[in-house]
Amino acid sequence: MTDGGGGRAQAQGVLRLGSHSFEPGRLLVMAIVNRTPDSFFNAGETWEESAAMERVHQVIADGADIVDIGGVPAAPGQNVDVGEEIGRTAGFVAAVRALYPTVAISSDTWRHEVAAEVCAAGADLINDSWGGWDAALPGVVAAAGAGLVCAHVGRQRPRTRPHRVSYPDVMADVLEQTQRLAARAVTAGVEESRIVIDPAHDFGKNTWHSLEVTKRLGEMVATGWPVLVSLSRKDFVGETLDLPLQDRLAGTLCATSISAWLGARIFRAHDVAATRQTLDMVASIKGERPPSRTVRALA
Amino acid sequence: MIIAAALCPAPPLLLPGLTGAAQVLPELRRAGLDAAADLVRAGPELVAVVGAAESTAVWDRWAQVNLAAYAPGLAGAAPDGPGGTGEALPVSLGVGGRLLDLAGYAGERLLRSVAASEPVQACAELGRELAALPGRVALLVLGDGSACRGLKAPGYFDERSAGFDGEVERAVRTGELDALLDLDAELARELMAAGRAAWQVLAGALEAKVVESEIRYCDDPFGVAYLVASMRV
Repeated sequence: MTDGGGGRAQAQGVLRLGSHSFEPGRLLVMAIVNRTPDSFFNAGETWEESAAMERVHQVIADGADIVDIGGVPAAPGQNVDVGEEIGRTAGFVAAVRALYPTVAISSDTWRHEVAAEVCAAGADLINDSWGGWDAALPGVVAAAGAGLVCAHVGRQRPRTRPHRVSYPDVMADVLEQTQRLAARAVTAGVEESRIVIDPAHDFGKNTWHSLEVTKRLGEMVATGWPVLVSLSRKDFVGETLDLPLQDRLAGTLCATSISAWLGARIFRAHDVAATRQTLDMVASIKGERPPSRTVRALA
Repeated sequence: MIIAAALCPAPPLLLPGLTGAAQVLPELRRAGLDAAADLVRAGPELVAVVGAAESTAVWDRWAQVNLAAYAPGLAGAAPDGPGGTGEALPVSLGVGGRLLDLAGYAGERLLRSVAASEPVQACAELGRELAALPGRVALLVLGDGSACRGLKAPGYFDERSAGFDGEVERAVRTGELDALLDLDAELARELMAAGRAAWQVLAGALEAKVVESEIRYCDDPFGVAYLVASMRV
């Protein structure tokens, strides 16, 4: 394993989400549940609360370890202010928490006002996809005893698309930014075992950058921080294979496999059952999960 | 003096961890354990474990099966456990030893492999030697029936397998173990019946004895005939 940002490789430790403790060998599926009318995949499918709750039931049955609830699409579009975002997500977080007292709940937000509300409603993790844009966020997360995802977005502002981005060394930038954000979170009082880093594929990156950070993901793992990857049906898969959204599952699962092999631990996904199968397969190849049932040539 | 005997198959899937997270064939495992427990209850001073292998030999008490040879990715499957001789114990003897461990037997044990190619008279003679051992001796015999019992069997379907395995079952059930000495070694080889030589050691050991048997398991869930039995002498 290569060094993380010039330092000595650090071992992965236990990851805590709510009351759960996950050992380094556990590969976790984070299921995407969008309370939005306009997210990029299956737009509006879970806009209605009842449809969103149906999806929660389904993803948990399919093997999700974490439910990631979001109220604002990543792409630019209709403005969603703080009040609207809270309205879309906080009550729903509370409803999921009431039905599933022990499942880990993540909230996809970059805003500290939203984080405060969803944590009060029962969220265990704040998935800040926008790279620490809101400096008040870590303090709120710390005060709530929750966890924080520290993502690399380069110089992007929330809900903007990358344009002609370039890096002398994209992975060096990823390592620098995510570790700086993780250190900031620690300083703000977030428990170290509740901090996760994320290269944030497609955020502040072109397809070449996303392929490069996938290939070199081991460098992030070597920092010792648990690594989350959010790969599901993204444009870097689409551009690599020249395929539309609905045909990107195979490419997503390939990137999932390689990321798992290189040591990523959390996989944010639309296709939960397929992702669970993929991760179980990788874990068994790695020797970290026994096969389910082996009798072939052993009878 | 042989005081009791038990018969059990020895597929690798009975070794610890080899079937992955699932406990495959719990009823077979229970039957094997019950048979081993019966042996232990008979109060032996020595248990002789007899199993088919590539060669005829006596094995070190602490020799270990090389689990990694079957499951390289299995945690803790590294070859040569502490105290091992370095040479991997045959699977059949590993299965037998594990049954004794699980049955809580801590007394003397003799691990004796018999080559699958050993001629019938040599097998019978090995049995007589065990019968001549001093003290109260129990026999734990590991052997599998034909592996050709269906289209999905390891050796595909062979119509002769039902007759072959049926004869073994009949001999054990009735206690007429001499019939095991009539099993044709060439047919057993063709049917991939790994237990032939070990059964003939059993027949030699209990020659002319009155044997009361209980069949604990008789089935072929994966196309291989498995037979578990307890025998009182």
